[in-house]
Amino acid sequence: MAASLFQVFSAGLGLAGYYALVAVGFALIFATLRIFHIAHGTVFIVGGYVFFSLHRLLGLNVFLSAAAGIGCAGFAGLAIDKIVYAPVLRRGGGMFNVFIASLGAALIVEAGFLAWTKGVVSVARTDMLDIVIFDNVALRIFDIGILALVAVAFTVLYLWLHRTNVGLEVRALTDNANLATIVGVDVQRTRNSIFLVASLLAGLAGVLTTYDAGIVPSTGFQILFIGIVAVILGGVRHILLGTLVGATCLGLLTAFAGFFFPEWIISITFLIMIVLIIVRPQGILG
Amino acid sequence: MNFGGVFVFEDVSIAIPLGKVTACIGPNGAGKTTIINIVCGAFPPKAGEIFLDGVRLKGIRPFDTVRHGLCRSFQDVRIFPSLTALENVLVAMPEQRGERIGGLFFRGARVQERANRDKARRLLQAVALESAAERPAGELPFGQQKLLSLLRAVATGARVLLLDEPAAGAEADLIPRVVDLIRSLVKAEGRATFLVEHNIDLVRQIADRVYVLQGGRIIAAGDVQRVLDDETVIREYLGRVYDA
Amino acid sequence: MEHLLYLGTLIAVWIIVALAANLVVGYTGMMAMGQAAYIGVGAYVTATLNILLGVNFYLALSAAVIASALVAAITLLPLLRIGSFYFALATLGVNFVFFDIFRNLGPRVEGSEGLYGLQLPGLFAASGPRFATTLAIAGACALLCQRIVASPLGRVLRATRDRPDALAALGKDPRRYRMVVWTFAGALTGLAGGLYAATLFYIDPTLFTLDTSILVLVYIGVGGLASTAGSVLGVVLLTAFNESLRFIGLPSQYVGPLQEAMYGFLLIALMTFRRRGLVGNYDFRE
Repeated sequence: MAASLFQVFSAGLGLAGYYALVAVGFALIFATLRIFHIAHGTVFIVGGYVFFSLHRLLGLNVFLSAAAGIGCAGFAGLAIDKIVYAPVLRRGGGMFNVFIASLGAALIVEAGFLAWTKGVVSVARTDMLDIVIFDNVALRIFDIGILALVAVAFTVLYLWLHRTNVGLEVRALTDNANLATIVGVDVQRTRNSIFLVASLLAGLAGVLTTYDAGIVPSTGFQILFIGIVAVILGGVRHILLGTLVGATCLGLLTAFAGFFFPEWIISITFLIMIVLIIVRPQGILG
Repeated sequence: MNFGGVFVFEDVSIAIPLGKVTACIGPNGAGKTTIINIVCGAFPPKAGEIFLDGVRLKGIRPFDTVRHGLCRSFQDVRIFPSLTALENVLVAMPEQRGERIGGLFFRGARVQERANRDKARRLLQAVALESAAERPAGELPFGQQKLLSLLRAVATGARVLLLDEPAAGAEADLIPRVVDLIRSLVKAEGRATFLVEHNIDLVRQIADRVYVLQGGRIIAAGDVQRVLDDETVIREYLGRVYDA
Repeated sequence: MEHLLYLGTLIAVWIIVALAANLVVGYTGMMAMGQAAYIGVGAYVTATLNILLGVNFYLALSAAVIASALVAAITLLPLLRIGSFYFALATLGVNFVFFDIFRNLGPRVEGSEGLYGLQLPGLFAASGPRFATTLAIAGACALLCQRIVASPLGRVLRATRDRPDALAALGKDPRRYRMVVWTFAGALTGLAGGLYAATLFYIDPTLFTLDTSILVLVYIGVGGLASTAGSVLGVVLLTAFNESLRFIGLPSQYVGPLQEAMYGFLLIALMTFRRRGLVGNYDFRE
């Protein structure tokens, strides 16, 4: 029993990695620009599907395909901001209008992929995923790899936010958007950087998921929603730490819920979100 | 009352008698709006009490105030932009049967609504706003919105009106209407009005008593003429340049 | 002809849903993103009582109306003091929770995923009378909603939408009006749910997902918020348009995605160019 619990635990950590990658981008965009970027989930699947097409359909090398997937995801996120959000805001729309427009964008992209492929799209075969076994517990090297990647990504993010000028401007925007503009922060450039970074990370998560478990068009939405709950849980006061905390909790939660109450995963996740919203919307660290 | 360790008020005691206009003046930040906020339950007072007609008010919440006979207006107006001017006044009237879902089906609601409409129109006429009756309030110039927000407070029927800078931002030609409205409320209907104001002329015209608030303390109180002519007050407050 | 009658009946059902949603969203400013849950409650209560317990259809329908009103009230209670943005998220969460409830606990006919076999009385049994009756009910609902909207209650609802704080200062508690209108809308939506079950003859949980709730928003958004005519118009136009898609001759696997993409485009277009919708009375710029 202990062994299988540990199994679930390690699976949860693996999931947490995916959630963290998606959630941190979402949190950055929300905290700095006040945009509820629901279409972030579609950026995720863009990365995954591009990766799949290049690697599986066209036979391109796995790393190049991954890089291309991530790059396309970055581009997609930027494009959504420029093509969808900017016009809405320019014409007097508020946060909620942007949210609905984001929903619209997500629907369009999801529909596109739905039309293109109905089945699960996956790249890896189990023989490609090596396992390490100690004491009856099988840990996938892949999961360890994900955690390593997430650690690297977050370290890079931290350095970006705290050691570069752009990062400084991003943090200024988080604290006080109006003031930041007044003191000369180039809001447009910073905004682009935020969307780019966030979307690259989401694209990375999409590529990894496609490689591992495969994706369907709705996977993006699913992972995003769990990521949103992670962000609400962790709070946006300390974006990096909060997202890590939230993602870990949600990863473990979904793993254990998936083990004990698989039919209720969705409602458990959303009930937690509702309770958080009612009781402590600023999150654990907020 | 204190905001995070900064004591706003010390030993402030204010009386608002019926049938009279009581004013409160003082520099910005002295806490005039805060008094209204406390009385209306927006912030709980740390110490001190509020008495209405000798009855202590405790733990009152903003939407309870009218029931107790108190109503306030806001400095930043807060009219309902998508409702017409007439509707803004109408919605303020209390105890409308038509606002209950059951009330829709009874004749009583319709009769009451007709009577309310007449009353609302007359209120608009009293401040020469009847031409704006059917226009969405959000389209009216600020001064008219200000007047409208006063009418709204009046329409609730509350006996004690707390008005936060009723003349601020109003064009000069609208101020006499404010004066007339307040005078008629107080003299004709015997209501009590408490004004927070920067406009000393207005205060001189309609107030009976005035409190001068500065730095969280009352530095002078009493008859309008006497206080406004008092040397200390003139020196401390009126003599200095202040923003109106 | 059969198909036209069927379509007409569905239009009538969705008109009722749209009217209820418009009351809540357009007139009272509550962003309800989970209406499908209440449609589901109405449908399931009607179908369960009628099919599995042999209750007379009219009685089952009445029970459904009461049940959905109750469920609506109960689900709103904890959410009353939440700001509008988190409120929208929470209603979304409620939708998902109910989806799981329908999926895991929902009664079903042996051997199938859902319920079928409603025993319908004379007025509903054949497609012709069913269309006429449902249309009549929809008409009555429209008149009722119009009555409410033009009354002092409608006025105070709009005030609740515009500036709830100012309304409270006038001695009227906005939460009370929100509760009243939400419960009433819940009742109407439940009624529509029961009629929906009678029209489709088969219901299962997949009918009551987030997609359905989004569809409701598209109906009232396109038609125009805060307009009874808008609710009717939105449903009729969109249903007509959807139907016309069938005549283009697309392979069936593309029709669904095309509809979804169209909804996405509509949402974006509405938020960018015409927040008012076609004949709406409220420029929704939250």
